[in-house]
Amino acid sequence: MRTVLVTLLGALVLGAVLLAATGANPLEAYGAIVTGAFGPDGIQDTLAYAVPVVGMATALAVPLRAGMVNLGGEGQLVLGAISAIVVGSHVPGVLGIVAALVAGAAAGALYATVAAVCETRLGVPLLVSTLLLSYPAMSFAAYLVRFPMRDAGSSLPQSEQLPPDVRLPALGSVTVGVFLVVAAVAVFAVVDARTPAGFEARVTGWGPRFAAYAGIERPGLTVRLLACSGGLAGLVGAVVVLGFPYRFIDGALITPQYTWIGLLAALLAAANPLGTLVAAVFFAALTSGGFAMERATQVPRELTAVLQAVLIIFLAAATGVLRKRRNPA
Amino acid sequence: MVDAALFASALGALAPILFAALAGALCQRAGVFNISLEGTMLVGAFAGVAGSWYVGSAWVGVVLAVVAATGYSLILAVGHVSFGGDAIVLGVAINLLAVGLTSFLIRTVFGTRGTFSDPALQGLPDLDLGGIPVLSGHSLLVYLSWLAVPGLAVLLYRHPWGLRLRGVGERPDAAASLGVSVTRYRYGVILAAGALCGLAGAQLALGNVTLFSENMTAGRGWIAVVAVMLGRALPYGVLAAAVLFGLAEAFGFRLQGIGLPQQATDAAPYVVTLLALFLSSARLRGRTPT
Amino acid sequence: MTQRQPDAVALRGIVKRFPGVLANDHVDLTVAPGEIHALMGENGAGKSTLMSILYGLSRPDAGTVELAGRPVAFGSAAAAIEAGIGMVQQGFALFDTLSVTDNVIFGAEPRRHGLLDRRAARTAVGALVERHGLRLSPTDRVGDLPVGLRQQVEILKLLYRQANVLILDEPTAVLTPAETDRLFDVLRGLAAEGRTILFVSHKLHEVLALSDNVTVLRDGRVTLSCATADTDRGALAAAMTGRAVELDRIYPVGAPGEVVLSAQGLTIRGHPALDDVSLEVRAGEVVGIAGVAGNGQTELVAAIAGLRPLDAGTVTLGGRDLGGLPVRERRAAGLAHLPEDRAEVGSAPGATLANNLATGFQRRLARRGFLRPRAIRAHGSAIVEEYGVRAAGVDAPMRTLSGGNQQKAILGRELAHDAPVLLVEQPTRGVDIGAIAQIHRRIISYRDAGHAVLLVSAELSEIRALADRVLVMYEGRIVASFGKDEATNEALGLAMAGGAR
Repeated sequence: MRTVLVTLLGALVLGAVLLAATGANPLEAYGAIVTGAFGPDGIQDTLAYAVPVVGMATALAVPLRAGMVNLGGEGQLVLGAISAIVVGSHVPGVLGIVAALVAGAAAGALYATVAAVCETRLGVPLLVSTLLLSYPAMSFAAYLVRFPMRDAGSSLPQSEQLPPDVRLPALGSVTVGVFLVVAAVAVFAVVDARTPAGFEARVTGWGPRFAAYAGIERPGLTVRLLACSGGLAGLVGAVVVLGFPYRFIDGALITPQYTWIGLLAALLAAANPLGTLVAAVFFAALTSGGFAMERATQVPRELTAVLQAVLIIFLAAATGVLRKRRNPA
Repeated sequence: MVDAALFASALGALAPILFAALAGALCQRAGVFNISLEGTMLVGAFAGVAGSWYVGSAWVGVVLAVVAATGYSLILAVGHVSFGGDAIVLGVAINLLAVGLTSFLIRTVFGTRGTFSDPALQGLPDLDLGGIPVLSGHSLLVYLSWLAVPGLAVLLYRHPWGLRLRGVGERPDAAASLGVSVTRYRYGVILAAGALCGLAGAQLALGNVTLFSENMTAGRGWIAVVAVMLGRALPYGVLAAAVLFGLAEAFGFRLQGIGLPQQATDAAPYVVTLLALFLSSARLRGRTPT
Repeated sequence: MTQRQPDAVALRGIVKRFPGVLANDHVDLTVAPGEIHALMGENGAGKSTLMSILYGLSRPDAGTVELAGRPVAFGSAAAAIEAGIGMVQQGFALFDTLSVTDNVIFGAEPRRHGLLDRRAARTAVGALVERHGLRLSPTDRVGDLPVGLRQQVEILKLLYRQANVLILDEPTAVLTPAETDRLFDVLRGLAAEGRTILFVSHKLHEVLALSDNVTVLRDGRVTLSCATADTDRGALAAAMTGRAVELDRIYPVGAPGEVVLSAQGLTIRGHPALDDVSLEVRAGEVVGIAGVAGNGQTELVAAIAGLRPLDAGTVTLGGRDLGGLPVRERRAAGLAHLPEDRAEVGSAPGATLANNLATGFQRRLARRGFLRPRAIRAHGSAIVEEYGVRAAGVDAPMRTLSGGNQQKAILGRELAHDAPVLLVEQPTRGVDIGAIAQIHRRIISYRDAGHAVLLVSAELSEIRALADRVLVMYEGRIVASFGKDEATNEALGLAMAGGAR
């Protein structure tokens, strides 16, 4: 805990230096971040940003617990979103909502499984297969909303809006989808800590050769974990498009960097379910506060991205030192 | 469809990836899993444009790109080698930092958003090698990237430093017990990789085009990481992998010409690389860190 | 009166502390030029620490190091190497992908115009090989060499750097008796040239056979320092452990019953390989596999356990064919396994002791699909209690336990499955003498309870102590089979080196 606080301070100091160097007032900027993130208006924006970030962080934490890195979150997220739009446009009412959510999760799960099979059957490392599959998925979705699924009434690369009866009810700045994400975190936490399956994933994370020797079958585990990971990512995509503006806009899921920030949160928390949640919320607050800071002080919002990255770097270095001290070579 | 211009444009697109892939391979040989190539290249690109703009010379831009990227690579060197931080975590964070930092700076230094370009910005001149088709008409950095391949091979296999860093990569404890400093060699390869990524960024922002736009590396650093794995961190293996990717990308542009949507051609290089990986899958099994 | 030659090496009053432990407690050690000096002690006694200080890999907190009468303070291994000290470490510091020459010159390369002068290197290495009668070729790839020759490369490295003081850490751990004799001849030759040899060993009979003087450490302090001729095995063992130790206990044979484990024609292509191996183990019997490491023993156990696929052959357990079954199902069919690699395979050093002990039992300890933390801890505590594992509670990280306690814990976990067949590899490697006896007793009582045990060990004394029948493996084949009484050191040694019976 003390390490986290010290590194946080260090990151803030560095950020202040950067701000001062570009002619801005650090205290004013930091103050704007905090009020922006947690103030009466800001808290809504923070929440809206936090839902997908927490969702993606958890999605990526699931396989990370076993030491497996899913770098294809963006592709799975986008495929989930576009599948939800397709299904939601054709199935009415509450059934449509449910079907869209299921379709989103299924699409993400299937796509992630493809990458998993690439590793288990074809020997292509997961790091590589998930990453390489991500780009074609995003390109495919980009194609769909420019041609077959394009919104006829607009020149922008976006799909048509979902009909009014196939939308998640709003809850302030978010939708009831927030409960789905919270439920996912809770399920992950319980499975991880209290079930044999979660135990086996953790054992694999502690030592892959130990796990194999103890009878834990890696190929099956890889596919199951990746399917859950992709399914969760796809679900997040579905939840986002079932909320305002109720359509798939090319790049809208990518530009906010939900996936990469989520990955950082999961890495930071060593994929611990609750730790990932806390880290994701923290990063979401920081990012959302950054937007508000820019509106208030003209300091570019990218500062918060810089702060986040610096914080992670300092923490990684500090963790490394702690690890070295425990295992003197 | 397949003509000289295709190969020429492939060669031009190849250089940044080749520099970055050589950087990654060098680090891999010394036991450092360096995935911060993407971010370091981006920093180099920005510094290159900034240098060229303020001094009015593309070559000053190149020098600044190398200096900035090398300095930037100190983050990985200090964080990973001195402090023992996890290379993957640091790599992802360094990449994100680069995006945030360069976007921040493009606002505060150039006062614009998205892309900075100006007709007065000096780019790298194309060299005319007696008009040889395909091979002529590239910037000096492109030719330098080709020379870097045998250069790396000589360094690795014929120079004492190369022998030592290969030992450091294979068994750091053994190297240390023979008096070879693991820290010094790992710092060395990371900083050298930084310099190479600086050249990659300079070629990207001053050679292929003459502008800086946010996130302009667009995944090339990641492709370089894949090239290192495909090429098993061997100088000529990495070259082959990078050439494959360059060709796929150039071929993709051709597909656009016959009516395929741009998105299909965007995806083409990745699909091609995946296929190549399937085909060589058995060879990859030993080499990847988990 | 002639001036006495200064000691080649003198360590005086060395103190070295690590967090929580005093590794070296005012240790004195003096060695004359041309002397062969043995350094003995259990794991954790401080031998490796002391040698690291001499070799410059670490600095003492107090005390002095003298070389040929002059005080030195090495800041690094490079400095020690420069001063003429060379060390051959236990795991060997060799690069498998490089040639003999590249390995030898590593860190001290001859250069020409800035690049490596390979020709000069090859010539120099070739000359050294000739002069000392080593059987190496400068262009061999080290990874392809058998262990005995790899060790010769290590010695070659020291000679190339003109080492006057040679430190060898457990040099015979992986050698056949014949290779050990050859090594001793080389060492005696080097000592006769005036070089000083320091070797660390826990093998009593070798220390007695080779060394001129011996120093024994226990818990960081010197407990015995004398001429080898003036001492014996009992005194050395007592100095190492602090108590009278029963040496080389040979357990009586068991009462074997039905065949439980059967292997027929096991074959794995490649290098190293398995070549048509067949064996049987009965209930209530210990079958020992002797042989120098690298002759297929690891592959044999891995194939039976399901960790490696076979190219041909069948494995049957209790009449059931295990062919194609994954590890989980083999274990369920009645197989338990104590692996050779404790740190990477047999345990998760970063996880808690309780979690380590629960691995393999996670389904059994769950009720209605949920794991109960209390049950996990109770399961762990029971094993700790039963096997006398010394740890700071079951929530302590596994890596905080000593090697012997880790091994006892892992053994306890595997025996808790009560499986009909137990595969055991190197059960007492890196384990203190006291714990060795405990582990041996456990294995024997497991046998006497009617289980079948397949034991692989590189320690002949262990094989002879525990096994009812001994099979010897050489180059992937079983080349000899002995009953307990026929398994003498000579007969086993001969078979291990390829001279079959």
